[in-house]
Amino acid sequence: MVAKFLQLEWKQFSRSSYFAKSLGIKILMIFLFLYFSAIAVVMGGGFYYIVKDAVPEQDPLVFLSSYFIFWILADLAIRFFWQQLPVMNIKPLMILPIQKNKVVHYLLGKSIFSFFNLYPLLFFVPLAGVLIYNSYGVLSVLVWLVSVLVISLSLNFINFIINKNNTYFYSILGLIALASVANYYQLIDFNAVSASVFYPLYAQQWTVILPVLLLILVYTINYTYVFNQFSLDGVVGKKTAKVETKELNFLNRFGATAPFLKNDFRMVWRNVRPKQVLFTAVFFLFYGLFFFTQDFYADKEWVTVFAGIFVTGGFLITFGAYVPSWDSEYYKLMMSQNIPYKQYLESKWLLICSGCIIASVLSIPYIYFGTKIYAIILAGAIFNIGMNSFITLYGGALNRVPIQLNVKAKAFENTQGFNLTQFLIGLPKMLLPIIVFLIPYYFFGLKAGLIGLAGTGILGILLKNPIMKLIEKTYQKGKYKTIAAFSEK
Amino acid sequence: MITIENISKSYKDVQVLNIPELRIPKGQSFGLVGNNGAGKTTLFSLLLDLIEPTSGQITNNEVPVHKSEDWKPWTSAFIDESFLIGYLTAEEYFYFIGDLRGVSKTEVDKFLVPFEEFFHGEILNQKKYLRDLSKGNQKKAGIVAALIGKPEVIILDEPFANLDPTTQIKLKKLLKQLSEEEQVTILISSHDLMHVTDVCERIVAIEKGEIHKDLEKTDATLKELEAFFER
Repeated sequence: MVAKFLQLEWKQFSRSSYFAKSLGIKILMIFLFLYFSAIAVVMGGGFYYIVKDAVPEQDPLVFLSSYFIFWILADLAIRFFWQQLPVMNIKPLMILPIQKNKVVHYLLGKSIFSFFNLYPLLFFVPLAGVLIYNSYGVLSVLVWLVSVLVISLSLNFINFIINKNNTYFYSILGLIALASVANYYQLIDFNAVSASVFYPLYAQQWTVILPVLLLILVYTINYTYVFNQFSLDGVVGKKTAKVETKELNFLNRFGATAPFLKNDFRMVWRNVRPKQVLFTAVFFLFYGLFFFTQDFYADKEWVTVFAGIFVTGGFLITFGAYVPSWDSEYYKLMMSQNIPYKQYLESKWLLICSGCIIASVLSIPYIYFGTKIYAIILAGAIFNIGMNSFITLYGGALNRVPIQLNVKAKAFENTQGFNLTQFLIGLPKMLLPIIVFLIPYYFFGLKAGLIGLAGTGILGILLKNPIMKLIEKTYQKGKYKTIAAFSEK
Repeated sequence: MITIENISKSYKDVQVLNIPELRIPKGQSFGLVGNNGAGKTTLFSLLLDLIEPTSGQITNNEVPVHKSEDWKPWTSAFIDESFLIGYLTAEEYFYFIGDLRGVSKTEVDKFLVPFEEFFHGEILNQKKYLRDLSKGNQKKAGIVAALIGKPEVIILDEPFANLDPTTQIKLKKLLKQLSEEEQVTILISSHDLMHVTDVCERIVAIEKGEIHKDLEKTDATLKELEAFFER
């Protein structure tokens, strides 16, 4: 039976449109996969020595245990956004003489084969090897390894429970925030708690039974849930979302583009995929911390231009890159209704710009690192609005991969809408700011560089109409191809 | 109102549509019948400039469809679910279409009043997104949306499929009334010969992309069509 399922699975995979991607993308994906795997292995192998070096007074394993709780929470958060209970097309199987429990076991078992479960393996196995090499007890380490992997597997199933309900997620998020605050002010020492909970997994081998019990428990919960829902109005049937209607009248001031803006707001708010993208965009806000907190970059001002572009350009990069794909589900309507391309594009442009503006307001705390830093961020924002927004929209004209709005992207499948042309068009987004900044900077210093960066942006804003016309023409040219591509599912 | 000249459409080397000439005068209700793959949807997609013709041209009220966008204000259509915006409620969708066609919210509300019976209490005020409605109800919403803003040309692909008998009858009445009283040009396609002969003044049967019958409706039309498709 399982062999039959696997056969179906293979056909689904090899015949899916994902797989029909160009060779270049496949190689890139394999490369990315190997890259991340290698990072995990190297981190796992090096962890012991790094910690030994950084915190010599503490046993690295105790150190790890004291942060284990945070690892669990982070892992859960990542899984929440990227991992979904695998859906097998069980509808056709329902009326066939196959035992329900087999299908359900298969479905749950299948979820184990996910990158999120491979990652811990890649990290902890080398770590365990290093621990044994450094004369930790062989049996203890192996039992500990089993415990850790079983915990990670439990997270796999806990995620599916959380995934059904947003409140779980937000309570966990709240918990993390509270924990970090409490930890920071040393109200409760979560590190100590974590260490005292997780260190015994190594020190007292019998405790391995606890994670195993946890795994059995969460598996059973999932099993019962799926089993009971194994009917057309359960798991298989579509979930009916609760409706929130908002008038969004404040958008009316945008005149002719208002209806599109309203639509886009609702699109982002009511669909899984754009929400995911929005969440990623928020992460970009923190990108600057990467640069500004490290002394290494302190005297390399030109690098911080990158930060400026990224901090305010998160939404532009994550959302903008998929314009017109966001409307792929109803593109035919958009193309036959009384909609001039101009207004359609204008609305997207406004949306991208609002993203940049909101980001630049939210990044005000960067003033903490000096007004100079914030000036760089602002200049980056202006460049994003005046230049990168147009480049992104232009690139969209060549983007013909449909997006299913209400389906989560899976890890390593997030290249929907990604292709080589897209990549080439994306390059100027990174290179152009460096050029317009670097040349004046080299000759006249930071201020000149910033003026160069912001000035190019302002120039772009001034030339908006002709630029938009050019973009519009490009969209018009590709119209039939885009419609045809979007109607392929 | 609509003039089709030498239109043809080929995919690679396979010709799927070839119509040397077809004129549809204003106010006519025009029915298109044909088996699966006959080219009905292809023709409608060409009329809406959703696909590029291999040769020839179509004009809609003197506007060449493939060269200008000016035909859009007076033309509306419902071809399939990709004409619905799944994440909107029916009301929001109607208001959106209204916005596009310069019809205010209150006017849309007024416009919707006579359709209450048609909706059968399953479309408006449902607190459901369109994607969560049943196929039939989605279709109803799509068809009604296509009527917003007094379009002069309405194109409906298979409007009767998936609808319950009551709604089919109501829809037929509605379409007849639109073409007779308001001089709207209506183009519909269908597999159901009965419905088409009921509604349309003129029926064209296509087969493998070519016109085989072009009939003004008389009492004998249904028989003739049945005979045509029986062979």
